[in-house]
Amino acid sequence: MPQYRSVFKDETKLDINYVPYRLPHRDKELRLLMEFFSFILQFPEKMTQRVMITGDVGTGKTVLSQRFGADITREANKRGISLRYVHVNCREYRGNLFLILHHVVSIFHPNFPRRGYSAEELLRILLQILDEENTYVILTLDEFESLVEREGSEAVYKLTRLQEIRANKPQRLSLICILRNLKIIERLDPSTKSTLQSNIISLEKYSKQQLMDILNDRVSLAFNPLTVPEDTVSLIAELAFSEGGNARLGIELLWRAGKYADAEDLGIVTPECVRKAASSIYAVMRKSDLAFLNVHEKLFLLGVARFFKGSQKAYASLAEIERAYAVVCEEFDVHPHSHTQLWKYLQMLSARGIVQKKVSATGSRGRSTLIYLPRISAYELEKELSMLLEKGEA
Amino acid sequence: MNIEDVFSSKLRVKILKILAQVGELNVSEIARRLGVNYKTTNKHLKILEDEGVVQHKVFGRIRLYRFNERSPKARAVQNFMEAWEHANKQ
Repeated sequence: MPQYRSVFKDETKLDINYVPYRLPHRDKELRLLMEFFSFILQFPEKMTQRVMITGDVGTGKTVLSQRFGADITREANKRGISLRYVHVNCREYRGNLFLILHHVVSIFHPNFPRRGYSAEELLRILLQILDEENTYVILTLDEFESLVEREGSEAVYKLTRLQEIRANKPQRLSLICILRNLKIIERLDPSTKSTLQSNIISLEKYSKQQLMDILNDRVSLAFNPLTVPEDTVSLIAELAFSEGGNARLGIELLWRAGKYADAEDLGIVTPECVRKAASSIYAVMRKSDLAFLNVHEKLFLLGVARFFKGSQKAYASLAEIERAYAVVCEEFDVHPHSHTQLWKYLQMLSARGIVQKKVSATGSRGRSTLIYLPRISAYELEKELSMLLEKGEA
Repeated sequence: MNIEDVFSSKLRVKILKILAQVGELNVSEIARRLGVNYKTTNKHLKILEDEGVVQHKVFGRIRLYRFNERSPKARAVQNFMEAWEHANKQ
């Protein structure tokens, strides 16, 4: 019986909750966070801090904050300071301040009752617990928008101001607010806004090269050696970049592509595995998108599908696709269209997102256009087109 | 109070069993789990606290009860309950 060998070495390293030790291209922001909170390691009782982290989906806001939380907690504990980093996703608690605070209190008293008091009382209780245990907390409010949407200024005001008015007591609770953009902050009243807006870390979307670095890091952690070719990583980075530089999506695609490779016992994660993974994540291309194409557009696309189906490559040149298209035309007994016409088809298919194109890196022979299939498996695309062409629906 | 007086009440033994299982609980929740009213629960908790077996902490209007970590009696009761449960599982 042949032995099954997975491409994965440790797939938990691709889990959404995994926090890697190294955060490629976020070192500067991590250092900045450390700077903002450096007082905690020297005189934690004297002050608290509020920091906002903003950035689009998949720009590393959550993982940055969690990496920072783990690092600063370890450093504080080494110095004998009792510090807890608590990460709460506000959306999970429907943006309800009471439920969020209850979650924090439950860390110290797991069976703390859920009823019979207000959010404000609960905040006082939390501060009492922290005083008794001489502990400091950095509370990260992820998806902060949902807290502001539900509770408005009041909740933020309570979180920031209540401890400030405690006479002669140590400061206990610092905040990190994670949100996509700062628009929602406009809804807060001016005094609440001013307490929040002093320290803002904005995360720019990752470039394709940065995404490749992130993916390569994860590949070395999660996969067996030589199971993920560079082309595969490049295609995933391309897809993640086209979705707003979304590293989370890239990592998800990497994991799914690995699963497809294992399911077919390929021993290697091919670009086709990535396309299958992508089509399982995105809404699969609608049939009407294909039916709308004319005969030669369909034949050209069939050439693209056939090329990728028969190759392990992630990218094809227009010349390669033209040759595949010529074979398809012969099969369907039609005269192939000219290069200029095919170039127009490519523009149109690319504009509709059915295929993607990019310009290759400059080399001794100049620049050329590379074509790739972003969101559908070549196998599925060929099947769908063949069926349409045979039915003569064009 | 003599040991037979402390442990002669089924409710007090049940309170100790609950606290041994969950660690810490407020009065209303203990009462709910016992299926008796707040006042009765309070009365038995006070007896156990007077004996030094349990202790409570106040958070606003909430009182959380737990075994008294510094009491040898509490440790003895916890060990006894643990051994009993362990033997039952075998």
